[in-house]
Amino acid sequence: MIHRRWSARAGAALFALALLYPFTALLARIGSWQWDADVRGPALASVRVSLLLTSIAMLMIVAVGTPVAAYIARCSTRERLWWQAILLVPILLPPLALGILLTLAFGPYGSLGAMLEQLGLHMTNSPAAFILTQVYVGMGYYVLGAVAAFDSVPAILQKQAALLGLPPLQVFLRVTLPLSRLGLAVALSIAWVRAIGEFGAVVVTAYYPSGMPVQLWVNLQSFGLPAVMPLLVVFLAVALPLPWLVHVLAQRKRHA
Amino acid sequence: MLKAHIIKKRRDFKLDVPLEIEPGSAVGLFGASGVGKSTVLACIAGIEEPDDGFVQLNGLQLFPPPLPLHRRPLGYMTQEPGLFPHLSVSENIHFGISKSLAATTEQQQWIETLRDRLQLAPLWHAPASLISGGQARRVALARMLARKPPLVLLDEPFAGLDRQLVRELIDDLIFWSRQIGFSMIAVDHQAEVLKRLCPQQAIVLEQGRIVQSGTWTELYKSPATPLLGSLLAPL
Repeated sequence: MIHRRWSARAGAALFALALLYPFTALLARIGSWQWDADVRGPALASVRVSLLLTSIAMLMIVAVGTPVAAYIARCSTRERLWWQAILLVPILLPPLALGILLTLAFGPYGSLGAMLEQLGLHMTNSPAAFILTQVYVGMGYYVLGAVAAFDSVPAILQKQAALLGLPPLQVFLRVTLPLSRLGLAVALSIAWVRAIGEFGAVVVTAYYPSGMPVQLWVNLQSFGLPAVMPLLVVFLAVALPLPWLVHVLAQRKRHA
Repeated sequence: MLKAHIIKKRRDFKLDVPLEIEPGSAVGLFGASGVGKSTVLACIAGIEEPDDGFVQLNGLQLFPPPLPLHRRPLGYMTQEPGLFPHLSVSENIHFGISKSLAATTEQQQWIETLRDRLQLAPLWHAPASLISGGQARRVALARMLARKPPLVLLDEPFAGLDRQLVRELIDDLIFWSRQIGFSMIAVDHQAEVLKRLCPQQAIVLEQGRIVQSGTWTELYKSPATPLLGSLLAPL
C-alpha cells in the first residue's frame, strides 16, 4: 500500500517537473543577455504600457462585468445558457481572428470606427485600441468566473438577509460580494493573465503602443534571443506571481 | 393578524391551506414529512411563491402581488441557521437593524437582554463560522428577534439539537412571544416539540390539506385520521 502511494507520488512529481521544465530555458546558454539602450528603452516602455493599460482594461472589465455576472447568476437556467454561450465566443475565438474582427469593426473601415475617428478616438494602434482588445480578451473569463463565484454563495443567506430588511443592493454589497470576493479575485486574475499575455489579437489592433508580448516579438525579430531574455524575466515577474498567489489562497480557503 | 390562503401545486398533490392566526397566538403546523408544512411557511415568508390565494399580515398585503422580502415584517428561522460566516456573532445579530435604531438606548437594552438570556456574551466577538451548531441556532434566534417582528415563522428550527437545548430555546421563545407579543407559526414533525412551543393550537396537514385543527388534547383524544393517530402514538 505504502509502496503504491510512493509510486503515485513519484509519478506526480515527474509530471510536475515536466510542467515546470520550460523554466530551465532561463538558464540556457545563449550568450550574454542584451540590455543596452536600444533594448532597454523600448522594453521599459512596453512594461509601462502593459501595466497601465491592462490595469485600465481590468477596471473596465470589473465595472461592466460584475453587474452582468450578478444578473446572469440570478437568471433561469435556460437564459443563463444563452449568456454563457455568448461569453464563450471571444474566449474560443482564435486571437488573430479576434484582432482582425476588432480592427475591422472599430477601425476606420466600419461606420462605428469612422464615427469614433471623427470624435478623435483612434481605434487602431492607439492606447484605446490596446485597452479595447484587452477588454474583449479578458471579459469572458472574468464574467464566467464571477458567475461561478456568485453561485457559490448559498441562496438562503441572501434570502435571509432580505428577510432581515435589506434591499437587494444592500444584500449584494453586504452578503454576496464579501462571500464571493475570493472567487472574484480568481476570475480577475485569470482575466489579467490572459489580457497582459495577449499577443495574437493585440499585434493586429495595437502594434503601437507596444505592450510586453509585442515588444518581446520585436526584440526576437530585431536582436535575437539575448535581447528577449531580460524582458521575458520582467514579463514573467509581472504576469505570474499575483494570479498565482490568488489561486493558491483560494485553494487553501477551499480546503480549510 | 395573519390571514392567508396558500394554494400551490406540488408534484403529487395540491397544497390548499387557509389560515387565520390571531395576534400573539402560537400555532403548530403538524403532519408527516412531505405534506406541505414547510411550503406553507416558505410561501408566507416569500421564499416560495404560491400559485394562487393570498397572504395578509396586519392589513399588509404580502401576496398577491408578492411583496419584496425586505418589506415583509416577519422573522423566519429554519434548521439551517443561515448565519453570515464572514461576520462576527455580534455583527450577525445587529445585521437587520439600521444604524439609527441601533443607537437608541431601548434597542441597545433589547440586544443586551437577548445576549444575556441566550448566553451569547462569551461568543459575542467570535466569527460566526467558528461556533457550534447549537450556538448558531441561539445566534439565529437572537438575530431574528432583534428586530421584534410581529410574526415569527419557525421551520423545524430545533432539528438535531439535544433535548436540554431544545427545551431552553422553546422556553426563551415563549418568554419573548409574551414580552413582544409576536404571533408564531411553527412546523415540526415531532409532536412533543410543537406541543410545548404551541400548547393552545395545532393544525394538522395531510397531502396538502388541513385534516384537523384544535387543541392538542383534542388531537390526542380523537385523531381525525389513522395516520395522525400513528404520528401521535408513543414509540
